[in-house]
Amino acid sequence: MLDIKIANDPLLLDYEDRVRVNAVNGPEWFSEIRSKGFRAYSEFGVPTIRDEEFKYFPLNGISDWKLGHPYGVTLTREALEATGVGKIDAVTLVFINGEFSPELSSYDALPEGVFVGTLAEGAEGFEQVVKDNLAQIATYQGKLGSTNDPRFVELNNALLSEGAFVYIQKNQTLERPIHVVFVNRAEEKRFTVAPRLLVVLEENAEAKLLESHIGLGGDYLSIPVAEVRLAASARFEHDRFQQETLSAYHISNTFVHQEGKSVYTSNNVNFGGKSARNDVNAYVNGEYAETLLNGANVATGDQVLDNHTRIDHALPNCQSFEIYKSILKDNGVGVFNGKIFVYEDAQKTDAKQTNQAILLSPTATMNTKPQLEIFADDVKCTHGATIGQLRDDAMFYLRARGVPKAQAEAILVYAFAAEVLDKVTIEEAKSALEAVLFEKLA
Amino acid sequence: MLEITNLHARVEEKEILKGINLTVRPGEVHAIMGPNGSGKSTLASILAGKNDYEVTEGSVEFNAKDLLELDPEERAGEGLFLAFQYPVEIPGVTNTYFLRSALNAIRKYRGDSELSPTEFMKHIKSKAAMMELDSTMLSRSVNEGFSGGEKKRNEIFQMAVLEPTLCVLDETDSGLDIDALKIVSNGVNTLRGPERGVLVITHYQRLLNYIVPDFVHVLMGGRIVKSGGRELALELEEKGYGFIEEEIAAKA
Repeated sequence: MLDIKIANDPLLLDYEDRVRVNAVNGPEWFSEIRSKGFRAYSEFGVPTIRDEEFKYFPLNGISDWKLGHPYGVTLTREALEATGVGKIDAVTLVFINGEFSPELSSYDALPEGVFVGTLAEGAEGFEQVVKDNLAQIATYQGKLGSTNDPRFVELNNALLSEGAFVYIQKNQTLERPIHVVFVNRAEEKRFTVAPRLLVVLEENAEAKLLESHIGLGGDYLSIPVAEVRLAASARFEHDRFQQETLSAYHISNTFVHQEGKSVYTSNNVNFGGKSARNDVNAYVNGEYAETLLNGANVATGDQVLDNHTRIDHALPNCQSFEIYKSILKDNGVGVFNGKIFVYEDAQKTDAKQTNQAILLSPTATMNTKPQLEIFADDVKCTHGATIGQLRDDAMFYLRARGVPKAQAEAILVYAFAAEVLDKVTIEEAKSALEAVLFEKLA
Repeated sequence: MLEITNLHARVEEKEILKGINLTVRPGEVHAIMGPNGSGKSTLASILAGKNDYEVTEGSVEFNAKDLLELDPEERAGEGLFLAFQYPVEIPGVTNTYFLRSALNAIRKYRGDSELSPTEFMKHIKSKAAMMELDSTMLSRSVNEGFSGGEKKRNEIFQMAVLEPTLCVLDETDSGLDIDALKIVSNGVNTLRGPERGVLVITHYQRLLNYIVPDFVHVLMGGRIVKSGGRELALELEEKGYGFIEEEIAAKA
């Protein structure tokens, strides 16, 4: 039975060939992660809209794709710099179709106690740290409820090859931002690419990172997985910018494990993709930790932008604050599913979730679903969802000051999303994202 | 410059303005006073172009154009400015960006070229100083988190930046302490000049101690029931609106 499924799965067609190439990168023990992932994914196969977690995310478009190996594409520095975020001054790692590009990366002269490099390099220098975390954080095991869908995490594991690794040791702060860029370009062949990022911050460490997914052409499927471990009192800003091509599929999974007093901030910006899906899962395993999940989405044309968040409050006295915004034009479809689990022990949890959408055309759609499961009795959990048009009072105010209607609309739409971009504290990234947003709305 | 003739207006089925006549010439300052619910703010909103009201009769001419036919942004382009009773908060849009968009749109409407960023900053910084506004406020979102007094000062600041020819102040004095009231009045007085008309809408006489009007009109029940000079405002302060009601009753 399994064999038939595998034989028919477009995402596994060239699996053996790919593993031969992938096995060149990284230590031998990566193969265990690959085979485990392969077995787990094979049991599921490509999801359909009958799968609850993919209800609004049709993938039938990829069923007849032959997804070949993506390697071998090169990119000039000029082409990289021409992208919206290509010039940001940062410790930079660049991957082209998943393949590491040393020429376009710059990650030397790092301070003591800070490692930024490839997974393979990391596994040489810090084998135990990588072993303890890679494919260990990205799991639902031991967590409440079973409604999440791990299949693209497993498929990424099955295709494990190159990736980025950030490791900040105890009490170290990396002042310079880190930029991990995954550039994708499909030429004649369509492909699946499995970007990978692992971030480990030890006690009281601090860093800021921008994870960019940039499409430069063609049809492809990108299934990134990011894993983040924050030890006690660590602080991490994780900005994420997704601008795949408008014919690409993007299905990302971010898993965060937080210990006490740590602060995780995710600013998740989605403008690209034919269909893009992002899952952000934070498991909070310590007291007095903070989790801030922010999202800005702009869907135009026939784009589908689907965001699922999940926060597991396992221990008491933690705060989480979530705000996801969507602007939907044309036939754009937005989806938001926000899960918050408050475990029996997690008294005094304070969780606030907000989802707002603006529909700029009668054919745009928003599907929103807060999902709170609370097993403790002394907690504060709120959620709110609004779907609407632009505020009349603000429109009139702008027009009464002389701003023509169309321009006033553009300003208000921009401002709606800019409120989320404002939370990005990597200044150059913020201005770059604002410029891309401006262009996207024009 | 402004000629309101027999203006009637309603909201849904309720008639609020029942035949307003008013002429404002350049250089004049008119005050419209009246009790709550008399139609003062409705008049201000109609002049600015808010579409919550239906004009059923009458006309408004501004610079010899039919004001009621113009969109709100065209009215601003023609030189009309309404200082809002309740200024609106716009998160995500900075004051600077807001004002630059407005000023350049108005300049474009008049066929003038846009100001360069340097020229613009110079212009707004001098006006901010006049209104005693902290310059950090320029990079904050429009009215977001401003106190009541700050919002009103921001309105007059915008007015100073946009340099309209007709300024309509809708209850600008409400919610102001005495210091803010002086700053706001001072700002308005600086803008007074032979080319500019001002229409001050207020419930209380207090503001008129600082912005001294040439004419005072009393609006009651959707009509201007009495007009006079500055002394009328003082009389209202002393006797309340009741004495006018009695006058009207006596005439009837």
